[in-house]
Amino acid sequence: MSAPTFSASMDPSTKSIRTTSPSPTAPEGKPSAAVAPTLIDIENLDFHYGATKALHGITLKVPDRQVTAFIGPSGCGKSTLLRCLNRMNDLIDGTRIGAGSIKIRGVDIYQRDVDVIELRKRVGMVFQKSNPFPKSIYENITYGLRLQGIKDKGRLDEVVEKSLRGAALWDEVKDRLHASGLGLSGGQQQRLCIARTIAVEPEIILMDEPCSALDPIATAKVEELIHELKLKYTIVIVTHNMQQAARCSDKTAFFYLGKLVEFAPTRTIFMNPENPQTEAYVSGRFG
Amino acid sequence: MPPETNSAALPSPTFNIVKRRLSFFGLTLDECIQVFFGGNAFVAVVILGLITYFLFREGAEFFGQNRQNLTVYRQAGLEYVDFMRRQEQAHTALTRDLFELRMRAVSDMTTRQGLTLAEANQRLASFDDYAGRFDDAIGPLRGMVADLTEVATAIKTKFNINQDKLEEREQLQSAGRTVEANAVKVEPVDFASEIAPILATRDAYLENNRVLAAEFAKLVEQVPAAPTPKLQGAVERFKVKVKAYVATFPSIEAEMAAWDFRKSVPLWKAFSAFIFGRQWLTASFWQDWYGVVPLFVGSLMVSMVALFLAIPLGVGAAVYVNQIASLREQRFIKPCIEFISAFPSVVLGFFGIAVLGEALRALSQVTWLQWLPGFPIAERLNALTAGCLLGLIAIPTIFTLAEDALQNVPRAFKEASYALGATRLQTITKIVVPAGLSGIISAILLGLGRVIGETMVVLLCAGNRIAIPDFTEGLSAFVQPVHTMTGIVAQEMGEVVRGGIHYRALFVVGIFLFFLSLGINFLAQKIVRRYRISIG
Ligand SMILES: Nc1ncnc2c1ncn2[C@@H]1O[C@H](COP(=O)(O)OP(=O)(O)OP(=O)(O)O)[C@@H](O)[C@H]1O
Ligand SMILES: [Mg+2]
Repeated sequence: MSAPTFSASMDPSTKSIRTTSPSPTAPEGKPSAAVAPTLIDIENLDFHYGATKALHGITLKVPDRQVTAFIGPSGCGKSTLLRCLNRMNDLIDGTRIGAGSIKIRGVDIYQRDVDVIELRKRVGMVFQKSNPFPKSIYENITYGLRLQGIKDKGRLDEVVEKSLRGAALWDEVKDRLHASGLGLSGGQQQRLCIARTIAVEPEIILMDEPCSALDPIATAKVEELIHELKLKYTIVIVTHNMQQAARCSDKTAFFYLGKLVEFAPTRTIFMNPENPQTEAYVSGRFG
Repeated sequence: MPPETNSAALPSPTFNIVKRRLSFFGLTLDECIQVFFGGNAFVAVVILGLITYFLFREGAEFFGQNRQNLTVYRQAGLEYVDFMRRQEQAHTALTRDLFELRMRAVSDMTTRQGLTLAEANQRLASFDDYAGRFDDAIGPLRGMVADLTEVATAIKTKFNINQDKLEEREQLQSAGRTVEANAVKVEPVDFASEIAPILATRDAYLENNRVLAAEFAKLVEQVPAAPTPKLQGAVERFKVKVKAYVATFPSIEAEMAAWDFRKSVPLWKAFSAFIFGRQWLTASFWQDWYGVVPLFVGSLMVSMVALFLAIPLGVGAAVYVNQIASLREQRFIKPCIEFISAFPSVVLGFFGIAVLGEALRALSQVTWLQWLPGFPIAERLNALTAGCLLGLIAIPTIFTLAEDALQNVPRAFKEASYALGATRLQTITKIVVPAGLSGIISAILLGLGRVIGETMVVLLCAGNRIAIPDFTEGLSAFVQPVHTMTGIVAQEMGEVVRGGIHYRALFVVGIFLFFLSLGINFLAQKIVRRYRISIG
């Protein structure tokens, strides 16, 4: 991929950490929301699981360094689309892109000469069910770096601390870095998975219902984390929790039966959606 | 419709929930089924118990009998004679060294120095002379051993005849034929007077030892110079060996002095003679030995060869099928590998004799393969041949169980690894295999259990030579014929006298195998259980 390497530019003015706010609000009056450059450009995408078509002509532009939420009833194809973005679907036999394209920084990721391994380093993923490796916390986080051949102990130590701090887990585990990752609580495990993902410094983080197995407190922590992460990373999150979408995201896409129904700033989706189906879904009248 | 109008006309509905009884012998169908399955399970447990009981009952008496066997060995003086015999045999080994030295010298002279065979023999004349003298030196001891062997054998035979007569008398007596029983004459063997002639040779023996020691001291000095320069080292080694040999004389004498035919043989000797015994020698005119070591070593070697083959193939195939192969390949490979276990092992054994043994031997004669240890192979049937076939038998077991273990590795681990930018190879080696490792290890252990217990193939293909292979040559020990624990039971059980010591010894081998398999299975299960816990 020819994409420029990520540079972490911290704008102090946007460093606002908001926790659970009860009502859906748009991201703090940020004018840039409308003009943010497109990072992922999905165009007219069809996707097939063998004979069944799961996505129908999706067109969507994910803005750079913002949080984009995918919502919709179960089975509508949110996970499928998300997994298309780092080509995780390649691992399933018989899947294929029927038509359309996905471009990240203008590069078509389904082109033949794309190095999928390189792509996945740039597009990290956090799964619905936390899945730390049956290894120590330290090894979990350094796994991605070791794959790239980094062995320098000092460098690894540094990354472990930075990633764990980044995932708001450092204080809880700093004394037991060499204990098994499976010994953590569910919420801690999920944050460990996030730490593991940011350790390889991706540009984009995909999250598939990251909080669905967590209690409200752990959920709040992860959401808080998302707010911090979006300063550095572009985040795409799938969620069934309307409040969560409203709280965390800048833009929201509503899917139904494999089609994109509406894609707009989160405030619009929740306050005055254009489509009646969207309106019905976000107000909890169906889905 | 209004209920009042109908209630009178229609019969009131009954609330019938009483079970209809379909009974056999007063049992309902459910109870019958329960009894049937419970009965089956019970019978299985009872049969298992009976087998175990029978095995132990038949085997346990072996140790008493073996103790008796060893006691006679001592009382009849065989043990005493064997001290001398060992001394003689050590000398024979030295003579063999000289002989080998000569062979190497001849080949050296004919190939390197370009001499003809006759010339070489001529040059070695003085060496041959020396070798002759070296061999002759042991003459007196050899004669003594031969004489005493006869005496001791006679005592033992007398004792055995007596035992037979005693038994006969007891049988007659218990049958109530007292007159006939009394007619059977039994003269108890008085060991003290019987072995007196053996012990009487003591002074002559000690005197002879002194002569021998002096003789060898002289012979060491006279060892001829190496026939070719290359053999200098071997000659020096021979000298050292001869000196070491002479140095053992005093300890042999001390052992013989401490020996007393009246000392009873402790029971643990009967155990240790079995477990650590290096000889399995039956129906011998001299002394029977029931030592499991050669058989155990044979089983172990064959199993090692088998695992050496089956681990990479079985685990490799499991990894490939589970992680890499497409669905179509999976559908083809899996039944193929499982099909191997459909071969009756006697067919595999036949294949081993007719094809594999020959093929391996032919292969071992290829010139550019001569660097391999043990090549060319002398015997067609050996541990390697049997091990290769057993490997084939173990592959399906290892493959199937290892594949299960990999299948049980959660998909989520794999996905997480890929999502972090791992290649397929990295994911397999760093995540999938380590996560499934304990399952793989237990698959290997169960494969080992399968191999240790296999009988037919080893009986047909291992060569059945009851001896501990010569490990001094390193790996070439693996192309020597061996015998195995399973093989010996299958081979000898049909020929032995029921209730005799040999019969019981075979049962003890069976018990030994039983515990070995039990241990292996137990270990495998423990590992699997731990693995379940760690994966959660
Ligand atoms: N591996 C698969 N093979 C075949 N069909 C699949 C596979 N995974 C998903 N599908 C189908 O694709 C469609 C979209 O599934 P997807 O998992 O993307 O839904 P989702 O929106 O993530 O649902 P949920 O909210 O329940 O996670 C569904 O109809 C589903 O049955
Ligand atoms: Mg989903």
